[in-house]
Amino acid sequence: MDRFDAIVVGAGPAGCASALVMAKAGLKVLVFERGKYVGAKNMWGGAFFGPQINYLFPNFWEEAPVERLVTRHVISFLTGKGSVSVDFKSTDFGIPPYNGFILLRAKFDLWMAKQVEKAGAILATGLKVDDLLVEGEKVKGVKIGKEEFHSDVVILAEGANSLLTQKAGLRKEFSSEDIKQGVKEVIQLSRKTIEERFNLKGNEGVAMEFVGLCTRGLPGGGFLYTNKESLSLGVVAQLSDLIKNRVKTLDLLEEFKTHPEIGKLIEGGQTVEYSAHLIPVAGLGMIPRLYRDGLLVTGDAGALLLGTGLILEGANFAIASGMAAAETVKMAKEREDFSQRTLSHYQQILKESFVLQDLETFKKAPKFLKNARIYHLYPELIVEMAEKIFRNNGEPRKGTFRMVREVLKGRISIWQLFSDVMKARKAI
Amino acid sequence: MEIIVCIKQILDPDLPPAKFMVDKERNKVIPPEGIPFVINPYDALAVEAALKIKDEKGGKITVITIGDKSTEDIVRKALAMGADEGLIISDTIFEESDSFAVGYILAQGIKKIGRYDLILCGRQAADWDNGVVGSVVAEYLGIPIVTRAKDVKVVNGRVNVERVTTDGFETFELELPALITVSSELGQARLPSGWGIIKAASKEIPIWSGKEIETDISKVGKKASRNQLMRLIIPSYERRCEFITGEDLHEISAKLTSKLMERRIHE
Ligand SMILES: Cc1cc2nc3c(=O)[nH]c(=O)nc-3n(C[C@H](O)[C@H](O)[C@H](O)COP(=O)(O)OP(=O)(O)OC[C@H]3O[C@@H](n4cnc5c(N)ncnc54)[C@H](O)[C@@H]3O)c2cc1C
Repeated sequence: MDRFDAIVVGAGPAGCASALVMAKAGLKVLVFERGKYVGAKNMWGGAFFGPQINYLFPNFWEEAPVERLVTRHVISFLTGKGSVSVDFKSTDFGIPPYNGFILLRAKFDLWMAKQVEKAGAILATGLKVDDLLVEGEKVKGVKIGKEEFHSDVVILAEGANSLLTQKAGLRKEFSSEDIKQGVKEVIQLSRKTIEERFNLKGNEGVAMEFVGLCTRGLPGGGFLYTNKESLSLGVVAQLSDLIKNRVKTLDLLEEFKTHPEIGKLIEGGQTVEYSAHLIPVAGLGMIPRLYRDGLLVTGDAGALLLGTGLILEGANFAIASGMAAAETVKMAKEREDFSQRTLSHYQQILKESFVLQDLETFKKAPKFLKNARIYHLYPELIVEMAEKIFRNNGEPRKGTFRMVREVLKGRISIWQLFSDVMKARKAI
Repeated sequence: MEIIVCIKQILDPDLPPAKFMVDKERNKVIPPEGIPFVINPYDALAVEAALKIKDEKGGKITVITIGDKSTEDIVRKALAMGADEGLIISDTIFEESDSFAVGYILAQGIKKIGRYDLILCGRQAADWDNGVVGSVVAEYLGIPIVTRAKDVKVVNGRVNVERVTTDGFETFELELPALITVSSELGQARLPSGWGIIKAASKEIPIWSGKEIETDISKVGKKASRNQLMRLIIPSYERRCEFITGEDLHEISAKLTSKLMERRIHE
């Protein structure tokens, strides 16, 4: 065995999905992962939405390490004075094939990689691919130190910090405007405490998003997911704003933990894990060229993920793009043609699927989400409004609309508000 | 040169302490999910010592471990580093064997392999740190042993060993076959290369049962165990900070002294 049909760089969701599909089709597949083991370096917030994992591994929830199902969503606007939340519980989300899964990446990625190996792919961990082997226009394999590995096609699934994609000349330098940074702690608590505190039963779980104070009003947000016996708590913020305001996400997370609303939820817990990661969420404009002769780019490396403010989804996009890349390679193998003409089929599959269609639908979201009012002013207005509606101080009440006017007065014009709402309508 | 290296799978010693958990009732360590087992680092050094000899003199290296099929991962790791053959000895009758029984099982396995010039083990396993197995294997095989080697060289059909002592090292020369246990002073174990991993991935790793190595069942398992684990606990560390104040240095140091005396009496 001295050459491979395909070499995959990175064993995250995108890499595992593509390797699995190709290996199952009988192709000779080699996967490189720089982590000491698969999952060692991988992090995310916490929930997978949609049917993609089920396409790869039918009824995976029966044997894969799933923490909990997402049966409850909470969105909260946080200020120093209080919070207003929307709390959505769904009974349907608790029925197979389910809508969302709370997963810890270290466990889940390791499980996925085992399935990939079982399907016949070779997984080489602890090895970082340094460079692509290029002959003329064609990518012919990869290089690690002095070792060379040859293949018909290379699939880049290297995640957000996509150095090889850049080396291949497919993307330009990132700007801090295009990147968000996320930090997360895993906080251990007993199963019983979690279920009592979050009103959960059995494998039910909750996904919580926070807007406002948790980022000191900077674009971004906070999140909390219930695992089986721990909570994932984190903050995501726009990198450019962090730099501009000299704020560290680590400090934001520390503050977030001391907010009374959050403090109550994590009380008595012990932090067992801490991690940080970049998120390339600038939407369509940021997507690099996704293919060239002998090369395909998938997942975060291709900036194929969606952030609408209300949701941040990347893993499902990663799996879908990994599968699309694998299908393309299968076709190229049949034709024995790995030139960009055949590989352009990849772009076509993505265009016909939710991957590029969602990104198209929400193409105005990234710009809209940079509007600082969303994170600073609006949470305050909402909380104050709620405070005014519910406060009884013994005085005669005012009509609701008058109250609204009072809250808005001097802080935002009706026209500004109207314009933001209209933009929101178009963007998300 | 036929070299056999005994390796053991252990919990990753680099595990963050917060992930280390024990089941107090069953006196067992609960392996954390999502963090794979690793080769005992001392054993990885034994593999390294074997590879160095092979690099210089040629020969064949066989790694051998006891455990279920999941130990395949560490065997493959050793193969990826450059070992030639791997072997797992696996049987439910081995469960809860102590270090003596483990030494016996390995010796039985090695007898079945038959040919060997040199056997290498780690000086101890980094999980329980008993450091017994190597000696027991040598005893069962009736061959000379040197423990805690920082250097192992084969010269003219004999093996030269530098053995670490508290204040330096001793040099030994032994007839082959012999058993050497390797210490951390040997240096660093090499990382597997890409092609090493690829070749190791498709290698057959035979699994031998208790029967195949002609196990005397009275010598293995819980019943044969010579020691018994009484209690398994995670030590708790407590840190306290106290400021001692006073008028002058004299008073402060007097207070400090009496504080320290107090603690000596109490603890
Ligand atoms: C804080 C945060 C919260 C998130 N929350 C969610 C969420 O709740 N739901 C959701 O769907 N998505 C979420 N995402 C996004 C999601 O994690 C990513 O979209 C997804 O992991 C992308 O998968 P991938 O396979 O493309 O990349 P990754 O998961 O990043 O995997 C890339 C792999 O490649 C390896 N690698 C990189 N370079 C090399 C190299 N040169 N050689 C060898 N190996 C290499 C890496 O070690 C890594 O294992 C979140 C992200 C962050 C940061």
